[in-house]
Amino acid sequence: MTAQGATAPLAIPPPAVKARPGRHVLLRWRTMVRVGLRMMVHDKLKMIGTLVGVVFAVLLSNQQAGTLMGLLKKNTMFIESSQADIWVVPPNTEQLAPGKFIPEAIAVQARGIAGVAWAEPLLFGGGQVAVPGGSSEAVTVIGTKLPGLRGGPWNMVSGTPEVLRNDDTMIFEDGVRDTLGGLNLGSVREVNGRNVQVGGFTWGLLPFGPAYAFADYDLARLLLKVESDRTNFILIGVTPGQSVTAVRDALQARFTDVQMVTTADFTKRTLRYLLVKSALGVTFGTSTAFGLIVGFVIVALTTFSAVLDNIREFGTLKAIGATNWDLAKLLFAQSIAYALLGSLIGLTLVTRVADGIRSPKFAIIITPTLAVGTTLMMIVLCIVASSFALIRLRKLEPAMVFR
Amino acid sequence: MSGEAAIDARGVRKVFGKGALAFEALKGVDLRVDRGEFIMLAGPSGSGKTTLLSILGCVLKPSGGEVRLLGELVSALPESKLPRVRTDYIGFIFQGGNLIASLTAGQNVALQLELRGVDTRAANLQARALLEQVGLGDKVDRKPMDLSGGQRQRVAIARALAGEPPVILADEPTAALDAENGRHVTEILRDLSRRLGNTVVVVTHDNRIFHLADRIIYIEDGLIVPEGTHA
Repeated sequence: MTAQGATAPLAIPPPAVKARPGRHVLLRWRTMVRVGLRMMVHDKLKMIGTLVGVVFAVLLSNQQAGTLMGLLKKNTMFIESSQADIWVVPPNTEQLAPGKFIPEAIAVQARGIAGVAWAEPLLFGGGQVAVPGGSSEAVTVIGTKLPGLRGGPWNMVSGTPEVLRNDDTMIFEDGVRDTLGGLNLGSVREVNGRNVQVGGFTWGLLPFGPAYAFADYDLARLLLKVESDRTNFILIGVTPGQSVTAVRDALQARFTDVQMVTTADFTKRTLRYLLVKSALGVTFGTSTAFGLIVGFVIVALTTFSAVLDNIREFGTLKAIGATNWDLAKLLFAQSIAYALLGSLIGLTLVTRVADGIRSPKFAIIITPTLAVGTTLMMIVLCIVASSFALIRLRKLEPAMVFR
Repeated sequence: MSGEAAIDARGVRKVFGKGALAFEALKGVDLRVDRGEFIMLAGPSGSGKTTLLSILGCVLKPSGGEVRLLGELVSALPESKLPRVRTDYIGFIFQGGNLIASLTAGQNVALQLELRGVDTRAANLQARALLEQVGLGDKVDRKPMDLSGGQRQRVAIARALAGEPPVILADEPTAALDAENGRHVTEILRDLSRRLGNTVVVVTHDNRIFHLADRIIYIEDGLIVPEGTHA
């Protein structure tokens, strides 16, 4: 392609050396990404519209998924905060819930198994607190052994766990003070027909069901009317350096009438139950998916409409040599930019909202995995959404620019 | 490829639609344009001149006949090969410029160079030089909406010339311009293409610029009117 018939020296520099083939591919990508982003920023109204869609989707999906995570966390926090490595649970236990009993003697016998550092029984049952005015409120009474106090209480905002040494003293949850008739330190309430004094408060120990209320093991036995040789769970700590699963297997071989589960497995088992067997997973899964779908539709519509608005420019790009694949790069760049920018704004907003509304009763937990997961999901959705526009562009005849 | 015509079209036909609605826009056009020639395709509206330009520019497939650009039979190439032909052989000037609104004048010209495989830095330098050549050295960073119609068309000329494609195809480049701007833009196109050795085909019905052409080809009802017989 050398210039022919040139009669005068040119002020125009000679054609620049073309990039090497490999570099040419990179150059094409860079060029189309740059053009795509410039086109995106140029149409500010459309950009804001698309971003609103992505932000809305990210907000809604993270709010729903974060709420679900918060609820799940509240139902597994007891297991995770128990200090135990292994839980001894009644057969066919699917989650941490009251109701079934196992022999308390297992705790003593388990201490004789190699690798067991400690073993403590735990009572876990329903209680009714008589509230001034005549009504009653449910709590979950936790009976925990002194002095180890394995299984709580923790997260104290008032008083100390050792207050449980005092006769007929319990520790309640700060978040239900009003519900229980305006509890204060020293207040007296009737729990399952026995008067107890408030010795302290925990913060945020509110599972999906009734709030936790901690008592000394012996007091809990009286309150829950549990036979002296029975208990609900046994918590086992493994000697440092020992394999938890090996100790678990040894215990299981010794005690065949109960189940030995590691804390991690018990957490998973509880999560599985809540997600699959309760309606929690379906309910929150549906609303999370709904948020993503709404975002997807908005992005698909705005991207398609942006392409239609600029159809002549796309025709021009094709006429001057851009391929369908080049236009795909352009749209994909826009999609990824929308997804990243929208996710950043959406996540910032939802974490601010989460911080603002966090209370003992309600928490939205946005984990890094959730944030990265929804961002990746938005990238995929935005790319798929822009593919509809790409189908239109594939059919676009560059000859349209002459019409 | 020396000795060959820049453009050689033989028996080119184009039919739009099918059956009873079929319309034959080109009825067997023969056209040869030599290298370095500056010709104009003139004719009434609907005569087929833009259709012919689209086929020569490889943006529209002919229904029959063949088209060679610098000896290469481009009408037989599959759709997937045509973008390469357009980037390597052809520079386009559209009615109204058809610049990318989100890009500055410099970026519009550089884009064409980058599509032709020139590195970004070199493309930007050459784009600036080309814009200086068309008298827009001070408008490199302006977006199309900040330019007048004549200035936009000059940017379009710079873009078409970027990378020195052997063939420049222009569709009604003066349609949106007043007489003086129209003549000025066409003069710039003719002068620069002369110096660079481009072959230029301009579709126009603007008789105010006919005198700038090496040759004027009239087209009517889908056929080229033999030279000397046009009224």
